[in-house]
Amino acid sequence: MPTYEYRGLVLHLPELDQEHWGYFEAARRHQLVVKRCLDCNLLRWEPGPSCPFCASLRWEWAPVSGKGEIYSYQIVYHSVHPGFRDWVPYPIVLVELDEQRGIPTPGYGLRIAANLVDAQFRPEREERVAIGARVQVVFMDLPNGLTLPQFALSGEPPRGRVWRHAG
Amino acid sequence: MPHPLRDRYCIVGVGETEYSQHSGRSTRAMAVEAVKKAMDDAGLTPKDVDGLLSYHMGDSTPSTAVASDLGIRPNFFMDVSGGGSSTEALIGLAMGAIEVGMCHTVAIYRSMNGYSQVRIGGTGVRAAAPLSGSALLTRPYGLISPLQQFAFAFTRHMMEYGTTNEQLAMVKVVHSRHASANPKAFKKNPVSVEDVLNSRWIVKPVAHLLDCCLETDNATCIIVTSAERARTLRQRPIYIMAVQGRGTRPFPDNPWAEAPITRIGGTYIAPRIFELAGVGPEDVDITGCYDAFTFTVVLQFEAYGFCKVGEGGHYVSSGIIALGGKRPNNTSGGHLCEGYTHGMNMVIENVRQLRGQADDYCPGWREGRHTYHYGPGGCRQVKDPEIAMNMGWGTPGYGSALILRR
Repeated sequence: MPTYEYRGLVLHLPELDQEHWGYFEAARRHQLVVKRCLDCNLLRWEPGPSCPFCASLRWEWAPVSGKGEIYSYQIVYHSVHPGFRDWVPYPIVLVELDEQRGIPTPGYGLRIAANLVDAQFRPEREERVAIGARVQVVFMDLPNGLTLPQFALSGEPPRGRVWRHAG
Repeated sequence: MPHPLRDRYCIVGVGETEYSQHSGRSTRAMAVEAVKKAMDDAGLTPKDVDGLLSYHMGDSTPSTAVASDLGIRPNFFMDVSGGGSSTEALIGLAMGAIEVGMCHTVAIYRSMNGYSQVRIGGTGVRAAAPLSGSALLTRPYGLISPLQQFAFAFTRHMMEYGTTNEQLAMVKVVHSRHASANPKAFKKNPVSVEDVLNSRWIVKPVAHLLDCCLETDNATCIIVTSAERARTLRQRPIYIMAVQGRGTRPFPDNPWAEAPITRIGGTYIAPRIFELAGVGPEDVDITGCYDAFTFTVVLQFEAYGFCKVGEGGHYVSSGIIALGGKRPNNTSGGHLCEGYTHGMNMVIENVRQLRGQADDYCPGWREGRHTYHYGPGGCRQVKDPEIAMNMGWGTPGYGSALILRR
């Protein structure tokens, strides 16, 4: 049973946990994957064992572009876990991927939470975090062999409204 | 035609231990004290109680221990997993258990050393636990505490509707004034909007320190029985008009999937509970809204139709929710100021309000004599409230609700 340590957190990835094993295996190859239903063909996040749209149990891993925009965000000032104290204030972003936006229902999206990081995988500066900003997935290879998908600003022009808190 | 269970069941006894951050006692000792006080309040002996329900997050004492300690012999007991939204749901479960004949009088309790032992905020033993499953998709990013789990919905609400930190702060300001008239509140000092805004950020842009509830040690208890039996007991019966819970929004464990993410579980519960109760939000005199954070209150008032979607910030800062206002909320101070017990204290408060027994600083409060002068450290009894509502927050994904009348 592979076990990884990251910032004092103990991460267990049992081989029976196909939902997350496959996801992190793809991340190690620097590929972002979600699950695709083999019956209705819809993508889903989180990668659960059943399709939330048609309840099919048949699925495959589907690579996605890793491009999208920030749908919501938070800047953590008080770190609950001691392992993140050297990171505060750090952003956590909810990224809406470009794939399958508004399908199968208006407003549905593949939304993934991660940190927004700079080119050195440090927390992105607060004043650069905004809803609507374009991002792309980047892969943070940890020395222990685990790879964490993260997001970084892509520099693309925003497609819609950009909003950040005035404070 | 009214729902057949409307007004068929009553809350007849309530009790709690001290709200502190240093109980110095086991959850078992506190649970026993709270259940005993609720029995005494109702005028019941252990032989009169034959049902026990509790909820916990791996941090409490089971019903069998409480039964053994107090000499209660349950015909039905259950300890369910869960925190917020459990109180209301278990009141409904108690009614169901009585309705099918499994028992006749149920004590529901929550006991937790939520500050000195197992803290809900995510520190201590909770932070040290190994991660697996879907936690691998959030916690490695430092997304750990309840506030962090809820913050995406809160930030999005600010963006979509212009909700401000000043509006959020007013929830704390109002609840702190209410708590100042509550001798048992853990935090009794009234605070200002500036106090909230000047307290340090916990998660920006949605919560300063004073936007967050307390972590406290305490136990609380509510006793439910049939209306027939209730009418023979010590206190004025408080009738359960309707209860609904727990209910969810789509994708309850992944509420970020579907827009608008500011739409919470309560949105789906609201039409059902008002139909069951036969009343609407406009008929409710007092509310008890789960104030884990000032923002949870805003989202719930919108979900249950006390104001329009997007206008929650205005609703909480307009004076409506304050004592002396049209529909006071959390007149005990709630989780933000009285203490944190996963929703049960706000139901207890509404029961006492409907009885006319708010335990404030009026010398005659025990006999129901109140001044109705709502200054700090004074009265907090609402004048003759008829209908009270509680809104229980689980996460943005699920919740429960309860409507009571006197």
